[in-house]
Amino acid sequence: MENGNKTQTTDTRNFLQRLFRMKTAQEKQADRENVPSYKSINTSGMTLVIKEGRANVQQLETIQKVGHIVGTILVYAFLVFMALIVLFPFYWMVITSLKSTTEIRSLHQTFFPTNVLWSNYITVFNSFDFTTYVGNTLVVGIISTLGTLVTTIFAAFAFARLNFRGKDAIFAILLATMMIPGEMMVITNYITVSRLPWYEFGIGKVDGWLTYKDSVFASMIIPFWVSVFYIYLLRQNFKQIPNELYLAAKVDGKSDWQYLWKVMVPLAAPTLISIFILKLMGAWNSYVWPQLVTTNNESWRLVTNALRGSFTTTSGEPQYGIQMAATILVTVPLLLLFIFFRKYIMRGVGRAGIKG
Amino acid sequence: MEIRLKNLTKVFPGNPKKGIPDTIAVNKMDITVPDGKLMGLLGPSGCGKSTTLYMIAGLLEPTDGEIWFGDEDVTELEPEKRGIGLVFQNYALYPHMTVYKNVAFPLTNLFLEERATTPDEAKRALIKRDYAVKFAKAKEELKALEQAGNKAGCEEKKAEIIALKGQQELDIKDAVIPQNDSQGNPVMKRRHLTKDEIDKIVRETARIVQIEPFLERKPNQLSGGQQQRVAIARALVKKPKVLLLDEPLSNLDARLRLQTREEIRRIQQSTGITTVFVTHDQEEAMSISDEIVVMKLGLEQQRGVPQEVYNNPVNEFVANFLGTPPVNLFKGQIKGNKIYIGDEMVREITEKNVPDQECSVGIRPEGIVIDEKGSFSFHVDRILTMGRDIMLVANHPFAKSNTKFVVDSFVKVSVGDVKASVKPHKCFAFSLNEGKTRII
Amino acid sequence: MTPETTTVNNSQTTKKANPIKAFFKRLFTPKERIGADAGEKNNWKAWLYLAPSLILLAVFTFYPLINTIVIAFLKNYDYTSQVSEGFTMDNFGVVLGLVGKTGGSDIVYKWQCIYNSVTKTWSYVSGAGSVQVYFQTDVINYALPNTLIITFVTVPVSIIVSLLISIGLNSIKAFKKLFQTIFFVPYVTNAIAVGMVFAVLFDYQGIINFIFNLGAAPWVDQAAPTWKAMIALCIYIVWHSLPFKILIFLSGLQNIDKQYYDAAKIDCAGKWKTMMNVTVPLLSPQILYIMITSFIASFKEYTSVVGLIGMPSTDGGGTKNMYTVVYYIYDQIKGNVGYGAAAAVLLFIIIMIFTAVQFQVSKKRVYY
Repeated sequence: MENGNKTQTTDTRNFLQRLFRMKTAQEKQADRENVPSYKSINTSGMTLVIKEGRANVQQLETIQKVGHIVGTILVYAFLVFMALIVLFPFYWMVITSLKSTTEIRSLHQTFFPTNVLWSNYITVFNSFDFTTYVGNTLVVGIISTLGTLVTTIFAAFAFARLNFRGKDAIFAILLATMMIPGEMMVITNYITVSRLPWYEFGIGKVDGWLTYKDSVFASMIIPFWVSVFYIYLLRQNFKQIPNELYLAAKVDGKSDWQYLWKVMVPLAAPTLISIFILKLMGAWNSYVWPQLVTTNNESWRLVTNALRGSFTTTSGEPQYGIQMAATILVTVPLLLLFIFFRKYIMRGVGRAGIKG
Repeated sequence: MEIRLKNLTKVFPGNPKKGIPDTIAVNKMDITVPDGKLMGLLGPSGCGKSTTLYMIAGLLEPTDGEIWFGDEDVTELEPEKRGIGLVFQNYALYPHMTVYKNVAFPLTNLFLEERATTPDEAKRALIKRDYAVKFAKAKEELKALEQAGNKAGCEEKKAEIIALKGQQELDIKDAVIPQNDSQGNPVMKRRHLTKDEIDKIVRETARIVQIEPFLERKPNQLSGGQQQRVAIARALVKKPKVLLLDEPLSNLDARLRLQTREEIRRIQQSTGITTVFVTHDQEEAMSISDEIVVMKLGLEQQRGVPQEVYNNPVNEFVANFLGTPPVNLFKGQIKGNKIYIGDEMVREITEKNVPDQECSVGIRPEGIVIDEKGSFSFHVDRILTMGRDIMLVANHPFAKSNTKFVVDSFVKVSVGDVKASVKPHKCFAFSLNEGKTRII
Repeated sequence: MTPETTTVNNSQTTKKANPIKAFFKRLFTPKERIGADAGEKNNWKAWLYLAPSLILLAVFTFYPLINTIVIAFLKNYDYTSQVSEGFTMDNFGVVLGLVGKTGGSDIVYKWQCIYNSVTKTWSYVSGAGSVQVYFQTDVINYALPNTLIITFVTVPVSIIVSLLISIGLNSIKAFKKLFQTIFFVPYVTNAIAVGMVFAVLFDYQGIINFIFNLGAAPWVDQAAPTWKAMIALCIYIVWHSLPFKILIFLSGLQNIDKQYYDAAKIDCAGKWKTMMNVTVPLLSPQILYIMITSFIASFKEYTSVVGLIGMPSTDGGGTKNMYTVVYYIYDQIKGNVGYGAAAAVLLFIIIMIFTAVQFQVSKKRVYY
């Protein structure tokens, strides 16, 4: 505060002095030295020091070592703390699934079940009709993933290697669609799906070789057979494959099709695996759209839909033990995928950030 | 600040599983850089000069040896605490800050040491009393002017009163007693630099390196030479004891190189900072250094004043490294205290007795005089006039590679066989042992 | 041989270039690509390759986009029979609580009504007498505020926490891979499933109450006060969004040239100063990307509420106090589609505005 005022008054003072053509003795000397008159600063005599001042090297080294150790401990402590927070819900999930309902409900919570109850899992299998839902999800997941792979490979190849009019414009438009919230499309997609000729909405079977169930499943699969994000991902990968291979293939007389399947796809296999796994995970985790589309028949639902709201007693109290067991059964496959394919998953997700 | 390297060694560990051996980057360097001198570390790529520089800076930890700044052992000290300035080869200017902020950044991390002071109450009271009198007088005059209706005079008077107030504040601020501790030593206190102080120092430094017009630009809007100078300014702004430069001129074009070379020398001499710089360009090192150190594969080959190293190379490597065009090497022998190339005797050895042996003979390009009666003969293939002198591209049966000689421009010489005599002090004999040490 | 003089064809002097034509010509002409076939003959084949994607996109992305906007302006649109009662702006009004309906589904505007604070009802006085009017307050009272709270709480918190974790991870050497894996686990899990786990954690007889000794206070069960449920929801959302951010920040940090850290060391900058003046600015492209995507994602928050609470209210279904905008949209699909479409369009507009604002603000502060 005082400094600011002082600067103001100094400036005013200087200005006035110059205005009245009065010079202090100091300013006259400063003019001689050709240094602006700044009363309290003489830079040639200034010594700049570090935070610890003029401590000698021994002291500095001690401070440095201590600081180093303390710093490292703090960082590790912070990371361990956050890691525990991140892992805690999983831990709780496991032990709750092994507890009895009374123990869960007791006022005194335990960190390890007093009796390990595997019966919760048995109840789940018996009452949850687990296999149906898993089967549904797998069918939907695999077919939609395979379809996505096909469309993505084709489209990425076209954008990466082929040349056609409007290529950049169309790609720009596609990227723009990624910014639009999905909710804008959901409403119309629902209407579209419900009015497609081979799908009669809640009105019974359709003639021909497609059953009602098939159409419900189709409506869960087909809208998601294309994903701009994966096209972008694969296109980046395709672009990194050197163009000389393409020219060499051309010289050998191979067509684009052969080049695509014999050269590019094998070379881009890691990305394709990433896409496959991410899409499969997405199908396993999908909730909103299947919920919307299968409201008429519970048995066609996917795993996540069935999970929510299940296992409540007649009085409405959720049976947490059984719920947790079911949750674990739903989550474990994902974790297994993660353990085996961690590299692919993280690489696929991480690519998204580079674009920014 | 004198820099002393004692037995400095840096070994990069290899991977025994993959069969990569340890690399000895720096091998027992022992150098002293006197205070205020400019020392050049010279050598081909990979000789460990940058590694040495980074160890002096503290960014690399030495495997063995010590580094002393003055009388303190700073080997274990972090770079932040060493008080050095480093100019990186790629400048490493912060791309998101303007040039001004780049240069001011070190200052925001440092503190100013001042004498601690306490207000002198008695003196302050006196000052206030004096000024009170002046204020009273000025106010009376103001009243008189107002009553007289003198508008302009009123304004002047009011301004005077404000100026008086400012002066009073300044004088009060300066009425302080410096503190001394119990042993009579001055007590120092540390504070951050004010914005004005930072501004002043930055502009001063900018004036020294001549980057004042660019202070508000970002680094990516500057040319290479300008970025170079900003990097130098950033290193100098905190008035370090030691200035280190890592191949400062290698990214500049030829003309800028000459210019900046001189600037570095000028800045170093005007500020008097102990400087070490690293380069692979021998001309650069020779022209501005007070002392040079020639390095090869982590070992110091020779150290000394540039001219001395040039005139008396300690081995074939040093002789070859310094000088453009490089020294001409021939296969020869020493017989009876005379150096022979083939049958021709090129030099008599008078300083000492040297046993007969095969050796490598080096003759500097400027080391011959065209002389019909000379003992040394060679065949001139081409004559290149360089204006200042004439370069003869020659060949000789015992030469190890292209032979080039330089003679004054008025010498008459034409293509064909030529006879010349060799200046003795420009003729060296190197042994054929591993170090190619100089025999004479 | 004498060189022939060639005459310049003066009739081909340049006319004034038509800028619009030039723009389109530039847009649709393939650029020179080294090595790739620039010929015409690739054209039709390329379109074949693109065909499946383009058809699917046209049906399920482009057409819906336009259609939803159209529906938003249709009155009482019935999608099975595809009839509507004409174009209107009232859908937006209903969603925002400005337009109400009487018992006989006549449209009435709020400024035409009188509020009775005793009975807490609105009524419309017309020639035929006073009729009670019903306004949809779910969006204005609950969905919109909830969504805004979620956004402005979870986005800053999660960004700061993930930034700190990333910088911490970047500075350690041992166990780095292990920590990276641990921090990524929440991403592979099912939002609904883990939401239910959090519901167990926050149960009124659950572990959170136990650890912090808060007694049997409900957080996300029925009879939980809104603010408690919001806290639990925000904690869950932050927890779930950490992995993605950490991954992006970590890869951005690894791309920063080590020389800048060396330069900062030489400039005597301490750890904190280095972080604020060197690390964070050089990370600003990633921070911007995360900010924009996080904002958009939190505006669309839906599955977290379903996972954690199961329904949009914590007071037994009386008021929808945990509603979000997207929850409303999905609920309206089975009801009046027009309202849902209007809400979706509103959501879109809000997102666009926020994104544009962020881009503007970022121009000065983001360094590429």
